[in-house]
Amino acid sequence: MTQSLWYRIGLPVGVFVIFVAIWQILSVTGTLNPVTFPSPLEITIAFGELVTRGYFWDATRITLLETLLGFIIGAALGLVIGALTGTFRTFRTAFYPFVVAFQNTPRVALAPIFLTWFGFGITSKVVMAAVICFFPVVINTVAGIAGVDENAKTLFRSLGASKAQTFFRLTLPGASAMAFAGIKTALTLALLGAIVGEFVGASEGLGVLIKELNFQLEVAMGFAVVIFLAVIGLVLYGLIELLEKRLITWARD
Amino acid sequence: MTQKDSIAVTGEAITLTGVSKTYMTASGALPVLRDIDLHIEAGQFVSFVGPSGCGKSTLLNIIAGLVSYDTGTVTVGGQPPREGRDDIGFMLQKSVLMPWLNVSKNIELPFIIARRRGADTAQRVTDLLELVGLSDYATMNSWELSGGMQQRVALARALALDPGVMLMDEPFSALDEFKREHLNIEVAHMSERFGKTTILVTHSISEAVLMSDRIIALGANPGRMVGDITVDLERPRRPEMIGSDRFQQISNEVRAALSQGMEESQ
Repeated sequence: MTQSLWYRIGLPVGVFVIFVAIWQILSVTGTLNPVTFPSPLEITIAFGELVTRGYFWDATRITLLETLLGFIIGAALGLVIGALTGTFRTFRTAFYPFVVAFQNTPRVALAPIFLTWFGFGITSKVVMAAVICFFPVVINTVAGIAGVDENAKTLFRSLGASKAQTFFRLTLPGASAMAFAGIKTALTLALLGAIVGEFVGASEGLGVLIKELNFQLEVAMGFAVVIFLAVIGLVLYGLIELLEKRLITWARD
Repeated sequence: MTQKDSIAVTGEAITLTGVSKTYMTASGALPVLRDIDLHIEAGQFVSFVGPSGCGKSTLLNIIAGLVSYDTGTVTVGGQPPREGRDDIGFMLQKSVLMPWLNVSKNIELPFIIARRRGADTAQRVTDLLELVGLSDYATMNSWELSGGMQQRVALARALALDPGVMLMDEPFSALDEFKREHLNIEVAHMSERFGKTTILVTHSISEAVLMSDRIIALGANPGRMVGDITVDLERPRRPEMIGSDRFQQISNEVRAALSQGMEESQ
């Protein structure tokens, strides 16, 4: 069954509008405390003010840079380690237990340590973002390689394919859909890593801005930044989905 | 003459002498094949039929060079089998097409792996597409095709390097009966025309009779030959032959050999 565009777009937009309207009414009637819970209108006005200020855009640039650098480093390392783990049994036996163990520790706990190691600049945030988005990429790449069709492997053997041919013409494309699912998760996590890193200690960035605005009781502006971060997250996710659709044309649901 | 005649008549003989194979499992040695002696003439179409566990797929995989054997000797075209021989085409139960490659590129795959892609490869792929009746589907995604069409692509891929020997492991078993019969006849005609030595592993007695010159019946525990039946139906084979008395007689001979084998196993 195909659903009309109106249905797919209109319904969530409708829900959003109703949600904001109820929020606004609760604020106007005084049910919500205006100091701790600003109304949608106040948040919108606060955002309008924020965008005129240079430091807001500087902070956005810093956070985006940390997110993207962390994502690229973490995802690239994740792909390489995942491919090695999925391909070489000795490598897997030697290192995968540590990957799994590390995956199950709360990695945000490392943020203070990275701060000590790399300082208040962007490096500690980039490392935090990279560490957080590394694991889903490794795990999905390993799972993707493990999931390559046994029949296809038999076919490649019967054709006399070399190890390199099998890797580049079967394993890599065969695992790519699954690996890309990990990459998508990683991008969202990279933003999380950057913000957490900024909370723990930084001189610039949207995370720093949220903390400062909260401290100054500029709650409406703080809300505006949070919503802006949500939008950044959505846009990044949309972009990576577009890339996925271009690269992996064959994966069907 | 049409372009299809660029596919040469290239059958090769296959000989197995005293071939045995035992798998080592956690619960001990499991003999799968015992003392297989079999000579297949160049250009002959032979089917291996038998119950599950009779080792028919293992036997095919040994001839394909995919599985080792413990004793005996095997030659295909005078040479021991091994992986990656250009003169052996292999077809599996599933079509195993690469979803990231379109139909043409899937057929081209053996040329790439064998590092034999050349100036004439494109023409060869076109010929193969025509041969399997998929000329209009060259640029389609493989997963957009029906199961029968996907198996045709797999057939074209197996024929790509013009092998002298075609090994087929139940390639039609996932198809519905109508498509299956249709493809059975087409493959039988190709084998008649190109004279490739063909081995088909199948569960279906009627499929074996319809296509083969000869049927090897195998029994289980351990896998061994329990019957060697000649199919003397005229060629070209036609679907109506299935209803003929001779067809039924041969089918019954195969059935009798298989039941005899089952009794001896118990």
